[in-house]
Amino acid sequence: MEDSNVSKILLIVGARPNFMKMAPLYFAMSQTEGMAPVIVHTGQHYDYIMSQAFFEDLDLPEPHHYLEVGSGTHAEQTARVMIEFEKVLIEERPDLIVVFGDVNSTVACSLTAKKLHIPVAHVEAGLRSFDETMPEEINRRVTDAISDLLFTPSADGDENLKSEGVNRGRVHRVGNIMIDSLVSILSHIAPEQEEATLQSQDLQRRNYVLVTLHRPSNVDVGDTLARILGYLNKLSASIPVVFPMHPRTKKNIERFGIDMTFNDAFRIVEPVRYREFITLQKNARFVLTDSGGIQEETTYLKLPCLTLRPNTERPITVAQGTNELVDMDSVEEESQRILSGTWKQGTIPLLWDGKTAGRIVEVITEFQAARC
Amino acid sequence: MKIVSIVGARPQFIKAAMVSRQLRARGLEECLLHTGQHYDFNMSEVFFRELDLPAPGYCLGVGSGRHGEQTAKMLSGIEDVLLSEKPDGVIVYGDTNTTLAGALAAVKLHVPVAHVEAGLRSGNRQMPEEINRIVADRCSDVLFCPTANATRNLTREGLEHVVAQGALIAVSDVPPDANAQPPVVINVGDVMLDIARQASQCMDMGPNGPAQALERYHVRSGQYVLATIHRAGNTDQSDRLRSIMDALAQIASAGPKVLFPAHPRTTEALEKLGFLAAPADRLSIVDPVSYMEMVALERHAGAILTDSGGVQKEAYFFGVPCVVARDETEWTELVEMGWNTLAGADTDRIVAAVKVALERCSDSRERPEFYGDGHAAERIAGVLAAVL
Repeated sequence: MEDSNVSKILLIVGARPNFMKMAPLYFAMSQTEGMAPVIVHTGQHYDYIMSQAFFEDLDLPEPHHYLEVGSGTHAEQTARVMIEFEKVLIEERPDLIVVFGDVNSTVACSLTAKKLHIPVAHVEAGLRSFDETMPEEINRRVTDAISDLLFTPSADGDENLKSEGVNRGRVHRVGNIMIDSLVSILSHIAPEQEEATLQSQDLQRRNYVLVTLHRPSNVDVGDTLARILGYLNKLSASIPVVFPMHPRTKKNIERFGIDMTFNDAFRIVEPVRYREFITLQKNARFVLTDSGGIQEETTYLKLPCLTLRPNTERPITVAQGTNELVDMDSVEEESQRILSGTWKQGTIPLLWDGKTAGRIVEVITEFQAARC
Repeated sequence: MKIVSIVGARPQFIKAAMVSRQLRARGLEECLLHTGQHYDFNMSEVFFRELDLPAPGYCLGVGSGRHGEQTAKMLSGIEDVLLSEKPDGVIVYGDTNTTLAGALAAVKLHVPVAHVEAGLRSGNRQMPEEINRIVADRCSDVLFCPTANATRNLTREGLEHVVAQGALIAVSDVPPDANAQPPVVINVGDVMLDIARQASQCMDMGPNGPAQALERYHVRSGQYVLATIHRAGNTDQSDRLRSIMDALAQIASAGPKVLFPAHPRTTEALEKLGFLAAPADRLSIVDPVSYMEMVALERHAGAILTDSGGVQKEAYFFGVPCVVARDETEWTELVEMGWNTLAGADTDRIVAAVKVALERCSDSRERPEFYGDGHAAERIAGVLAAVL
């Protein structure tokens, strides 16, 4: 028999960047009286390293619902999530759903829930790159436009939502929930474990560059990818470069027939687990990335970060943190600035303190109380 | 240049037909994609012939279903068509699931989206149509607004490029700022006004005139109330539907006949509640009528009770007082000026408002041209030819 005093809340994840945002909220809700969190994994990312290993590293239980939608074109994937998630909503009849970030599952699930009159909370709301060619930008805009509760990580998010005419009552600045996960996992990695990870990759503290690239604009165009790899190979002459590579990118290299004879110090390795990745990140000299979350993690770690994109939806990491946007014309000069020790210091943005999940739970508690 | 027009519900076909004619006049290639959202609603070949609309190039046949499921099927079906047709732009109409699915599928493929009837807001985010409107507008590159109010709603949502500050643009030439960085907001007037005017003219010149429709439904000019109810908010909530039906029964018993052409969804709901088995006196529930008949019945009604967006405006176009069986409307200007009255699903309020409406049946007040001048489709085709 269901307890009417308990709010059933579905937490929706689909892809890797969602997992570490959901985990802290799941734990905070589990410890809150009157809240019953239920994890729904849409299966957008489904391989072991990208998915299950994350759940293990984050100490999360198995998802309560696993939708197995797999990959596909945007519309196909969005469509499959909608069909399967609608069934879950009808079965579970939740009081609220929480969606994270900007993947297809984020927009698909928020649309489906709204049509069934189930309120939607969006964690990491208000981010804008102002680049409409990014599918993530569409997902962000649409999700924010229809969600009932918008949890922003920083003041620029509030501003963006305000300029889109969003009623202020819907917006709650709670800070960056991914930092909650980062803080927690940093405290759980033992020094000897850290040492072991570095040794296994034959790396020394502060003496290597960590690379993560996955965006289509960087890895799906032959000339661009070749130019990037060529530069990384060159960079590795002055400092070791380690690049945990997504299988898709590896396939691209073969498909484009890019010459793979690289220096020994340029190491393309298999994708690594979250724990190990955090270790590699924490100890790097700097990070070159096109990911969203890593721009934020490096800002928290006060580690220099070069983002190989023309824009970012996380401008606070540039304005206040240690991040800079680069292109292939400027990356060499910027790398040299870091290596020569003249990089900016950066400060940690307000409310990026590891306590965001608690603030979200407070707002949701009030929201639920007001609805009863 | 090739355009895919995405339609699925009856009002969208009618709007698309107007725009389609203008696109053809400009020599633009157009392919009609029918999602099949309405499939049982008088949409035979005759329907296309009457509208002078080319038969759809694609029929997805998604049929009815839950919102998520229906929208999902449309999304993947529309994407397939767009991938094979590779159009230079798509046009979506209004606020149905078809509108949302078309806009979302196209924007993800980087195909420019034009939304006809953009910028409308009722303020009620529980309405599926409101979600559809918001999402379609968020995905659109060219937002064709029917009114200046609609352009203001979009300005409030942060869209900066509003052509001519939201004033109706000239028909003849495309204003230079229509080529600004998208999204661009343009007040072109309301395609529904184009249609209503043409249908009205057509009827006046035709051999039968409106008399035939009035005879067919046994009503006399000015002496009946026309009712249409189809929104999920009214049909799916039995207490609301009951209150509305009680109001109609009271109105009918007080004098004027009530003619109620019922949407299939409404018929189903009425059946369940037992209203079809024992209809009230002088309340006549009939099958959906053709568009031309509807125009005739609207023009000659003493008053109209509706929850439809289109009918609220048509009442105004034809100078007929109208009561809206909803708690809010996206056609706010008509309520603000006092032509239409919001009565919710409250029996007493509906009865009282219809009584007042009937008393001002020959309302000869000035009616401002909120909705343009009946040349919206020409403007839409002109802008698209220039900016796509």
